[in-house]
Amino acid sequence: MTSKQKEIFLKKRYRAENRFKFFGIFSITLAVSFLGILLFNIFSSGLSAFFKTKILLKINFDEKKLGININTSEKEIKASNFNEILQEALLNLDLLTPELKKIELIDIVSVDATYELKRFYLKHKDQLNKMIEVSLTLSDDLDQLHKGNFPRDIPEDRRRFSDFQLKVFDEQNAQNKIITEFNFSFFTNADSRDPELAGIGSSLMGSLLTLLVCLILSFPIGILAAIYLEEFAPKNKITEIIEINVNNLAAVPSIVFGLLGLGIFLNYFYLPRSTPLVGGLVLALMTLPRIIIPCRAALKAVPPSIREGALALGASKVQTVMHNVVPLAMPGTLSGTIIGLSQALGETAPLILIGMVAFINVVPFYPIDPSAVLPVQVYLWSESAERGFVEKTSATIIILIFFLAFMNSFAIYLRNKFERKWS
Amino acid sequence: MNLTIITLIIVFSLSCFFFGKTRVSNKIKISGKKFNSLPVYYGYYLAAWCGLPALIILFFWSFSDLYFIKFLILSDFKADPTIDKNKLNLIFTEIVSIAEKKFSGQIPKNLVPYAERFLNLNKIFELSKLAVISSTIVFSIFFSYKQILKNIKARESVEKVIRFIMFFCAAIAVLTTLGIVLSLLFESIKFFTVVPIFDFITGTNWAPGRAFIRDASTEIADVENVFGAVPLFWGTFFIAAIAMCVAVPVGLFSGIYMAEYARSKVRKIVKPLIEVLAGIPTVVYGFFAALTVGPFFRALGETIGLDVSSESALAAGIVMGVMIIPYVSSLTDDVINAVPLALREASYSMGATKSETIKKVVLPAALPGIVGAILLAVSRAVGETMIVVMAAGLGARLTINPLEASTTITTQIVTILVGDQSFNNPKTQAAFALGITLFFFTLIINIIALQTVKKFKEQYD
Amino acid sequence: MINEKIKISTKNLNVFYGSKQALFDISINLVQNKVTALIGPSGCGKSTFIRCLNRMNDVIDICKVEGSIKIDGDEINKKDLDVNLIREKVGMVFQKPNPFPKSIYDNIAYGPRIHGLAENREDLDNIVEHSLKKAALWDEVKDRLTQPGTGLSGGQQQRLCIARTISINPDVILMDEPCSALDPIATAKIEELIDELKEIYTIVIVTHSMSQAARVSQDTGFFHLGKILEFNSTEKIFKNPDNKLTQDYITGRFG
Repeated sequence: MTSKQKEIFLKKRYRAENRFKFFGIFSITLAVSFLGILLFNIFSSGLSAFFKTKILLKINFDEKKLGININTSEKEIKASNFNEILQEALLNLDLLTPELKKIELIDIVSVDATYELKRFYLKHKDQLNKMIEVSLTLSDDLDQLHKGNFPRDIPEDRRRFSDFQLKVFDEQNAQNKIITEFNFSFFTNADSRDPELAGIGSSLMGSLLTLLVCLILSFPIGILAAIYLEEFAPKNKITEIIEINVNNLAAVPSIVFGLLGLGIFLNYFYLPRSTPLVGGLVLALMTLPRIIIPCRAALKAVPPSIREGALALGASKVQTVMHNVVPLAMPGTLSGTIIGLSQALGETAPLILIGMVAFINVVPFYPIDPSAVLPVQVYLWSESAERGFVEKTSATIIILIFFLAFMNSFAIYLRNKFERKWS
Repeated sequence: MNLTIITLIIVFSLSCFFFGKTRVSNKIKISGKKFNSLPVYYGYYLAAWCGLPALIILFFWSFSDLYFIKFLILSDFKADPTIDKNKLNLIFTEIVSIAEKKFSGQIPKNLVPYAERFLNLNKIFELSKLAVISSTIVFSIFFSYKQILKNIKARESVEKVIRFIMFFCAAIAVLTTLGIVLSLLFESIKFFTVVPIFDFITGTNWAPGRAFIRDASTEIADVENVFGAVPLFWGTFFIAAIAMCVAVPVGLFSGIYMAEYARSKVRKIVKPLIEVLAGIPTVVYGFFAALTVGPFFRALGETIGLDVSSESALAAGIVMGVMIIPYVSSLTDDVINAVPLALREASYSMGATKSETIKKVVLPAALPGIVGAILLAVSRAVGETMIVVMAAGLGARLTINPLEASTTITTQIVTILVGDQSFNNPKTQAAFALGITLFFFTLIINIIALQTVKKFKEQYD
Repeated sequence: MINEKIKISTKNLNVFYGSKQALFDISINLVQNKVTALIGPSGCGKSTFIRCLNRMNDVIDICKVEGSIKIDGDEINKKDLDVNLIREKVGMVFQKPNPFPKSIYDNIAYGPRIHGLAENREDLDNIVEHSLKKAALWDEVKDRLTQPGTGLSGGQQQRLCIARTISINPDVILMDEPCSALDPIATAKIEELIDELKEIYTIVIVTHSMSQAARVSQDTGFFHLGKILEFNSTEKIFKNPDNKLTQDYITGRFG
């Protein structure tokens, strides 16, 4: 090979080197930008759900129209009808409303508005027979319009609000009667068919209860199983079978656990459907190997000299392990458990199979109350046609990701802070 | 009731613990008598005897009493030959709901006495449960206290119990697998008695919605030819293949770059960032695929004159591929790091460039590990549910066009089991048959993958 | 020589790791309140031997011990015996210092706690102080008893381990090359300590260093390939050994 040939050959080799390196950088960039796009997409479409649009309406709490007086008991007030004063106030927005359009005018507020009025009155009973400005939730469609999630310049028949409603809305907006406030009810309300009322209260609580059941079951069982396998198990066939089992269980598709829950817990043991109890049970079985594996790794990392030191003092095997080994393995175990739980928190498919897809319009309180969970709420809302649910879905995902990020950073913190390196 | 009993047991056990402990330490102080174990172990001993037998009885009792009550109540109906097993179950649920005052509609008069009987039996069973458990507690406290006075080796006994509990916990893993296999098998066998297994595996028409059993004559006609699972197998394979087309190159190159090229600062940031992709719940990917990627491909297709369905195998596959990237990249990274430095140095010392070393030396050495990683990723892709449920569609057809809707095993399981879940119906049972297919398929891939990775790791240990 | 009381005696002790035999027919007597050094090339079975004396070999699954080991005339190589009670009587100090990752105080207090040797906090404090004083560590650590034991220097850690062993008041202390991980100054301190401790305890020490064996021990056993070739007073072994191999080893011709 001449030196000229050699130079060309060398150049070729370096080109190949650079190409190879470029592929690596390109792949990483691609993966990271996927993540970026995904998160940006979710956040940009979901943040607006944390706010809601309200309208300031002058309401006349007329004693006669309400059929109540200052002495009326709370129970009777709750039973009375605030619709009339609400409609009156709405119709006052545009006194020239043609008869046919009146219904459209009444529809600009949410169906919940009359209850909002009622709740307002219960807090301000001194307002009886007075005229006062109350802020009421706008209908979902105008809410979306105000947030800019819905274009206004398309033909009337392709949007869900009429030209007339749009006109009234713009007038009120020009008078600064349209306000935006933080959407507290999104966190406290249960699911609803109306997007402006739907909240994640029930699924948040459901997730919490489910995770609690899962933790209570999987944490002690997982740790005890790991301790047994790592410290006590004799080297025999039974142990080997258990070990292979644990490793494979960690890779079984989650939906299969759902089938297990359905076939055994619901169909055989008659446990209550759609409840955090069964959800937690199923997730606990799923989380179990995800706790056992890191716990065993943490136990394995404790040097044998610690065990020998305790044994030589006459501590029994159980004492040695419980007093000296397990505490040292705790940080690793805890961070593994938290990561396992965060996976359980995001799990959807098995919970769908055990019926946690039901429409739940009350916030659950006990593990045997039917409830939804956050990821299933995402699934349910993503199937809904209303525009308002898109931002709700994204917002739910933001909350979910927030919890996951919190749990995972906590796990990483635990590991970095407390895990000791053995030389 | 159960909650009360459990509280009762816990309270008793705790007091037993303190009683045993103080009792023995007092004895040591007063009489100077030497005990075999520390006082605290006598506390544990007493508490274990007090709590464990009672809890075990409670557990089995709670699961079996309903069966006894059911048996006793339904014994009257069993004589009637017109009432089959399903009907019996129905009658019993009716009786229960009457008894619990949850019955909606006209209450059948003939069942009312049974509802009363149900309530009575329930009361009897509950009371006798309480009685049996309390007497067990009393008896075992009595017995164990006698044992303590005999100065038994309490620590050894307590440790034996602890070991047994640990073993039981470890065995739960096996019980879970057993539970999975049994529950799947049980329903699948029922399914395969109606639909021949051969038709299921080779049939090309999947339309379980039409499998309604109207009467005996149409049963066969309706069940035949609607449970052919080949389109599902194909869809599953097809989408998984698309996913792997994304995940394998991107994951592999990312893994190689991180293991061989990236400076440790870059690695510290990028590696967790990519792993975030694996931590995002799959339902989020599903939502993203259905609402952003699907419509995006559709719009893209429109501009170049292609007809793209908004639910397509392509959208689901690509998004699934993104989700799987970290599984491939992290394992590749690990596996490459496990290849000994000496091999690399040998190559460098002969003047090879970094990429030549990687391609010719490191990758061949790491190949078994990488294959294992990819296999694990395939198993994830096959078992993935939410992305395909939300983005791949329901159309069970044999197509190689990635722009059409496609369906998978997991999608069909969810679709079948959401909503009405009456058992004893071939449609529901079909979901379990699909489940067992999925379970065994992924199990085999997992075993092969785990073995390959394990062997690879042992090689360089 | 007549007043000497035999503390430990082994007879026909054979140890197997799986199918491999590690010790062959070891029969020796160890005398109370004396330091016995066990020397020999690495892999000759010294450590295996002392691990038999407190049944530490039980920890290793494949290890099988046959023959008789008597402490104060009681057989300890029996299946149904509570090994924890033997280990309470026969303490052990390991090659590498292995303090628990707990405070200095808790390191010492662990043994008394599990064996119920202290009735109250005061008792425990006394035991800790007493043990640390005996291990010549008290003055160095008395102001930082709550700090982790792992923060001490290597020599201090090893003395902490000795103090930990003393805390449960054993009869015998086994030392498995206790100075091999230490510098010469720390070694000297430990050797001094061993000399003091033999007044109270019977000590068996495995060592690689001839000079150490000569300095601290009264009796010496020479192990070779799992057999004990010579067991005699230290003086005799180092001045005038019976066995040719012993002589070669001591003079550094092999090993």
